[in-house]
Amino acid sequence: MKSIQLRVNGQAVERDVADNTLLIDFLRNGLDLTGTKEGCSVGVCGACTVLLDGQPVSSCLTLAVTADGCEVTTIEGLTEGDRLHPLQKAFIDYGGFQCGICTPGQIMSAKALLDENPHPSKDEIQSWMMGNLCRCTGYYKIIESIQAVADGKVST
Amino acid sequence: MASLASVGQPAGHVEGPSKVTGQARYTADIRLPGLLYGKCLRSPFPHARIVSIDTSQAKALAGVHAVITGAELPDRRIGRFFLDKPVLARDVVRFVGEKVVAVAAESMDIAEEALTRIAVEYEALPAVFDPVEAMQEDAPRVHADTSTYTHPPVPDFVHPGDDRLYPDIPNVVSQVFYTHGDIEAGFAQAAREFTHTFTIPPVHQGYIEPHASVVQIEPDGKVNLWISNKTPFVARAQFAAALGVAEDRVCVNTAPIGGDFGGKGSLMDGVVCYHLAAAAGRPVKMVMSYTEELLAGNPRHPAVITLRTGVDANGRIVARKARLVFSCGAYSAFTPLHTVHGSVHAAGPYRMPNVEIEVFRVYTNTVPAGHMRAPGAPQIVFGVESHMDLIAQELGLDPLEFRLRNTLIEGDAAPLGEKWKKIRCKETLEAAAKEAKWGAEKTANRGRGIGMYDREPGAFGPSSATLSIAADATLTLMTGAADTGTGSYTILQQVVAEELQVPLESVRVVQGSTDSAPWEVGAGGSRLTHMAGQATLAAVQRLKEGLTAFAARHMETPSEQVAYRAGEFVNTNGQHLALPTLMAALAGREELPLRYTGEYVAEDPMDVTSFCAQIAEVEVDPATGQVTLQKLTTAHDVGTVLNPLTHQGQVEGGAIQGVGHALTEHLIVQDGAVTNVHLGDYKLPTSMDIPELKTVLVESDAGPAPYAGKAIGEHSNVAVPAAVANAVFDAVGVRLMDLPVTAEKVYTALREKTARSRTMRRGNS
Repeated sequence: MKSIQLRVNGQAVERDVADNTLLIDFLRNGLDLTGTKEGCSVGVCGACTVLLDGQPVSSCLTLAVTADGCEVTTIEGLTEGDRLHPLQKAFIDYGGFQCGICTPGQIMSAKALLDENPHPSKDEIQSWMMGNLCRCTGYYKIIESIQAVADGKVST
Repeated sequence: MASLASVGQPAGHVEGPSKVTGQARYTADIRLPGLLYGKCLRSPFPHARIVSIDTSQAKALAGVHAVITGAELPDRRIGRFFLDKPVLARDVVRFVGEKVVAVAAESMDIAEEALTRIAVEYEALPAVFDPVEAMQEDAPRVHADTSTYTHPPVPDFVHPGDDRLYPDIPNVVSQVFYTHGDIEAGFAQAAREFTHTFTIPPVHQGYIEPHASVVQIEPDGKVNLWISNKTPFVARAQFAAALGVAEDRVCVNTAPIGGDFGGKGSLMDGVVCYHLAAAAGRPVKMVMSYTEELLAGNPRHPAVITLRTGVDANGRIVARKARLVFSCGAYSAFTPLHTVHGSVHAAGPYRMPNVEIEVFRVYTNTVPAGHMRAPGAPQIVFGVESHMDLIAQELGLDPLEFRLRNTLIEGDAAPLGEKWKKIRCKETLEAAAKEAKWGAEKTANRGRGIGMYDREPGAFGPSSATLSIAADATLTLMTGAADTGTGSYTILQQVVAEELQVPLESVRVVQGSTDSAPWEVGAGGSRLTHMAGQATLAAVQRLKEGLTAFAARHMETPSEQVAYRAGEFVNTNGQHLALPTLMAALAGREELPLRYTGEYVAEDPMDVTSFCAQIAEVEVDPATGQVTLQKLTTAHDVGTVLNPLTHQGQVEGGAIQGVGHALTEHLIVQDGAVTNVHLGDYKLPTSMDIPELKTVLVESDAGPAPYAGKAIGEHSNVAVPAAVANAVFDAVGVRLMDLPVTAEKVYTALREKTARSRTMRRGNS
């Protein structure tokens, strides 16, 4: 057991966690933030992507103790009140999701991209999003959704 | 369809905000007080007798609340059509991954620890993995005695065939014949005959949400089930039968489905989850790991497909005989029907007067097969469309020309005798060829290939929907169907908004549990736009009629002089009555909300289909065999497109599933066990694997859905593997008879081709 202090979606959190607790289980079971999804459990599908100090990580491969002292952002942290983040709105308007299970991870990865590179080319988007599997859309509309935000076409 | 306000306009998913914010709770996200976590110990043997099981050490572990084995459960087999699968193995295991012992514990970690403390002694039995070998007299029998296994009659919506269930052939579950014309007379007319055999391995549906189940038993015994299942009412019936209780003792609650593609129609862990909850006296959640999904989910049936075709002197097909052998794995319980109904496509969308199709489903000691997007069709169409190119090559005909000579045209009977109206087969193929620039110059090692398919809109089972209007005039449509991500709720929302001429956002769509929604078959077989759409249309009509009567009374005008128009009622005197005013007047006098249920059953059989023609353009690296899909053209014969955004989403998502099937996906089975058991080894396409995609819609007005819509869910994924294989042949002259089209296979085939041509040159000199 180890006591960790971190900020999750802007809120201070202090908890005792087992050494082997994964960040995904800490978020989902400990904090009931079930927007972060578990798909492959081996860091391949990207459904569990969250931002750790702004960097995208697979929370299924990250130990909760490594988040000690960090800022964690999950999909629940993107909305301001009822106002959707532009990426969230774009994924609806441009058909960037269907079943929605990979969507929180897609949006978190896309946010990390746009935070680093606000105006990526289509190729840059396609390459960056390689780590987020989607079985429903065939990716075209995910790329269009992100491109629309990058091009300033989405207002919330 | 410019005159329509909502239908025909692109509309984002009605449930979008809950999904993009992470608020939507899928089954794995459900939390209940006192919830335990369940996990199963699985068989490491493909076929073995269980000699003994010792669970004492697991039971002694702190935090473990239940440990159960098959022997402790009622001897009742479960399934969707064939009831042949025990909840936990009894006496015998029949595939690697079969559930043997189940544990419920305070946490997933404790449950997994408990599994390591269970000792099972097995005695290996002879096993069989290949379906063709399994049909031989000397093959091991996967099930020693099937005489006590039960199943319902073959439903009447299935294409009529000669159906033989458990015939007297080793390991055969079903043997079905579809015939039309006179096959012997047909071959007698043939100038030439061609026979080819194709092999298609199993693939996984690849949904990102692994199967999950949650069971809670109320003090009075009523069972609440949450499950990744797209057909809640059918699941309730199967679940109640598995428990031996009446259906009204079970409520299947709602949760979004995280991808289906045909794979989310079974009870999977639901029944074992119930027995754990009953034994522990607490609610239990079970979530499969992705390794369990790949090892023991319900993948697409692997198949061996042999096609024999007779062609006359003019290059016209006169006869087709098909023998289709599907491995259904160790149990047939995961398929909703006795056969793989895509088998009817073994003749393709071509004019051929004499057809005989023989279909076997065969037990083997491998993972039980289930349904996947257009069940059976991708396997068969890979064979059919590769066979078409092989014949064209032998005849010296261009593959497009050979198909154009044989495609169905208006007035033709389909190969099994169906009479389609408004046949757009040739038009769809020509549209694809034009867009793909068929016949244009290609650079070296580039090739183009065609694949074709047709599928009728789903029309089975009744659908129903309830439209309610509250005191504040808000409209809510309740459906019992799950939206698996296709956008079906949005389509239903559009239908209501269109009919009532109100804004889209004024219509809510909710999924009801099996206790609250009217009975509905659910998602599957490309049926919801048609069936649930028509049921919704019927509900709107009833609401309009009901409200018109109230409005007439309120306006003191005979009903026939009152008309509904865009949110208000108008009578022949020119009086207006807004919907909210009417509803406010009804408050206190009527029981609100007012509810109107529409039901729909389709005419059988369907008199329309939808054609799909696809052209792949590939580049092959002759040094490595690497195939790059540069461009994919997908042309569809469609009806009215109700929602262009979600329609195109289906086209694109399906096409890329086809790309995975063509190039990378393959459950590798060694000695009966799937060996590529995580998503790093089982290669789903990523955002870097997608080609330039060109979609062409050939519009028609003959669909059975509201506003003459057709179906689109199971079209674009089917013919891609054949189109890619045909393009590889066109590029470098090597023909693959099995999937996927990997660099390794192409490289080997190129080397063999080079070796052959050297031998021939030497022979000539």
